[in-house]
Amino acid sequence: MRWRRTRRTISVVLCGVLVFLLSVSCAPPPQPGQHKGGTLIVATQDDPLGFNPDWRTDDYAYPINQNIFNKLVTLDANYNVVPDLATKWEISPDGKTYTFYLAENVKWHDGEPFTSADVKWTFDTIIQEKGNARDHLQSVESIECPSATTVVFKLKRPDAPFLGFLAWYGTFVMPKHIYEGTDWTTNPANEKPIGTGPFKFVEWVRGDHVTLERNDDYFKGSPQLDKVIFRVITDANTALQAFYAGEVDLSEVRPPLSEIPKLQQTEGVKVVLRPMPSRYYLSFNLRKDPWANLNVRKAVALAINRQEIVDKALSGIGEPAEGFYTPAISWAYNDENVLPPRDVEEANRLLDEAGFKLGADGIRFKADLLYFSGSEWSNIATIIKANLKEIGIDVNLVQLEIGAWMERVQDNHDFDITILNGFQGPDPDNLRMRVGTGGTLELGGYSNKDVDRLLDEAAALTDVEQRGKKYKEIQKILSEELPIVPLAEVTDVWVFHDYVHGLSIEEGLGKVTFNDFSLVWLEK
Amino acid sequence: MVTILVVLLLNFLIIHLAPGDPVRILSGMDNPSEEVMEALRVKYGLDKPLSVQMFNYFAALLRGDLGFSISYNLPVAKLISEKVGPTLLLTFSSAVIGLILGASSALFSSRRRVVWIDTVLSFLSYVFYSMPSFWLGLILILVFAVNLHVFPTSGIVSLREPQIGIMYYLDVLWHSFLPVTCLALINFPIYYRITHSSISSVLHENFIGLFRATGMDERKIFGKYISRNAILPTITIFGLQIGYAVTGATLVETVFAWPGMGRLLINAVFRRDYPLLMGIYLIMSVSVAIAMIVVDVLYAVLDPRIRYT
Repeated sequence: MRWRRTRRTISVVLCGVLVFLLSVSCAPPPQPGQHKGGTLIVATQDDPLGFNPDWRTDDYAYPINQNIFNKLVTLDANYNVVPDLATKWEISPDGKTYTFYLAENVKWHDGEPFTSADVKWTFDTIIQEKGNARDHLQSVESIECPSATTVVFKLKRPDAPFLGFLAWYGTFVMPKHIYEGTDWTTNPANEKPIGTGPFKFVEWVRGDHVTLERNDDYFKGSPQLDKVIFRVITDANTALQAFYAGEVDLSEVRPPLSEIPKLQQTEGVKVVLRPMPSRYYLSFNLRKDPWANLNVRKAVALAINRQEIVDKALSGIGEPAEGFYTPAISWAYNDENVLPPRDVEEANRLLDEAGFKLGADGIRFKADLLYFSGSEWSNIATIIKANLKEIGIDVNLVQLEIGAWMERVQDNHDFDITILNGFQGPDPDNLRMRVGTGGTLELGGYSNKDVDRLLDEAAALTDVEQRGKKYKEIQKILSEELPIVPLAEVTDVWVFHDYVHGLSIEEGLGKVTFNDFSLVWLEK
Repeated sequence: MVTILVVLLLNFLIIHLAPGDPVRILSGMDNPSEEVMEALRVKYGLDKPLSVQMFNYFAALLRGDLGFSISYNLPVAKLISEKVGPTLLLTFSSAVIGLILGASSALFSSRRRVVWIDTVLSFLSYVFYSMPSFWLGLILILVFAVNLHVFPTSGIVSLREPQIGIMYYLDVLWHSFLPVTCLALINFPIYYRITHSSISSVLHENFIGLFRATGMDERKIFGKYISRNAILPTITIFGLQIGYAVTGATLVETVFAWPGMGRLLINAVFRRDYPLLMGIYLIMSVSVAIAMIVVDVLYAVLDPRIRYT
């Protein structure tokens, strides 16, 4: 009797072991879905100003908004336009009608259904209320909603950059039922946003953090994470230490560039460096002498050691700039008409020829170089000062914070040379802003009819190759006239712990936009 | 009251004379629209002459209205009230700890008159006095947060494991330990040096000599007469420190990512948020004035020679 009972026990145990072994051997490899849960803590450098995503420029709200809201189309981490609320779209052969087919069963975070009327209201309002993206919507004639899931944009003229800009900044679709009939600058939803995105807003403790929670009804599938918390850490060193201490999983506060080699060698830390369509460049004030003189500009371009800027000012991160547009958007980049290699002798000869003779003190003339506060900028400016000293230009360094810089450079044109950087995508039409006549970031008073004509022609074309040719021609003109001198390419720095997976630069490539954490999962 | 008014007037003029336009900054570098900027200027009354703006500001102030923040698009009073708590926790406690630490070590070293204790404390006070607060903050973070893992690097609460009830307050205290220590160490030398030097001068007063000659117990002389006389200048400094405490210790708040008034002030400066800046300065002037009144009252309590009628 006892033996029989023991035998039964043994067989039950054996069966159990067998079932366990079978289940283990048949289990699929770990999938993102199996790591559901957890909180992702992201360090961000400053507080958002509010959560109306389309009203005004707010770079600190932008990454958060990418998780709360959706756009019609968006940009992936390679700056390609990918579907978002619109699953597909058609462009008419004349380039004047854009038809977007919207995803079905999309709901706002408050449960209301999302329809094409929300899209129409959003873009009508951006145009009417002069939202951030209004300049890029100038070609829009009308917006129609033939059905709840179809939106048609009718344009006044063919506008090839339209789609790219629709995927960029200030174009999040906002809830009509919340905002209609109210002042969109003071609507309470600006503090408690309601979107269609992968995460719902939970709380905003100003100056400390913003908490979002998973939206289980997300139309692209429920995200993996329970929560995403954006933590405000203004000081880059503190953010770095918080990251090392494990209080932060991903840091959007760019670490001091000199710290990157150490981070790269730290176990459990991933550093991803990606070329960005943004570049440091120098701009001359062409309204003033001697900068109106081409030989002087050529001399400056020849004297600046761009490799030294990358090596010393940027700690070797990035590349020296060669051409006159970002190589990150390769189809529009002209790699033939580039800056000449450094030649101090030739630069001195050009200045002599221009009539600026070397004085007894070794100085030809003085110049004010205006730049923003920040170690990177100071270092670049210091190198330029030393480089230009070699050709007899005595540079006076003037460091300004952004408000004072804007007033002196952009409003009063009271400068000799200045340095800046900035995003040059998503479409090369961005050049209009920087070198087109009257462009908002055209600082030096440069105006060339051919450049303006080519910009217009390129915008009206739909064929990428043909457009590329026009932009390359513009870069050829810029390389001859030198209203600006490109200095170095900006590098996008991603710093995160290796247990963070599914970011837009890794598994999420081609699927989600930069700071969209809907595919992120934590391996711990 | 007159002092506060003059301070406010000066603040108003200095802030408005600084280069940079809040509306321009708000509109962004690459995307300004004249039309929108004009509308914003009208909304915030920035289109009017400076004298009218000033009149309007003071008129609103009399109604108890601190104005509307240009950058946050929210009432200034709301923004400031959110930040007062964290800042006071930081600055008030560090000022008190600094006072206790500084004054008591000065009393101790003067009482004992042991040369090496005096030398060490003087040395430490010079070290902490000449040390930039943000640097000391970073060192504390590196040692206690990153290497020893005993305190968090920054912030005011744990976000990964939010606490509730009594644990929440303990969590805040735990987070405040490093920033409070940092500020207290920075405050320590001021209290130490001032108390120390005033004790030295009181020690040589005739009445102390008289007490000694009468054979009074040294402990009583020190406890009742010397320390009470010597503490008066320290109290003045403490009052001033507390007055400024309301606006926070900007650098320490930045280093420890502490969501207080100091950070709000920095943001307001960079964004040329005139109403917000004026609001913060108002609070600062009022609190310095109140602190001074409290100090005067304390003087009367501590020093029988001073009586207000």
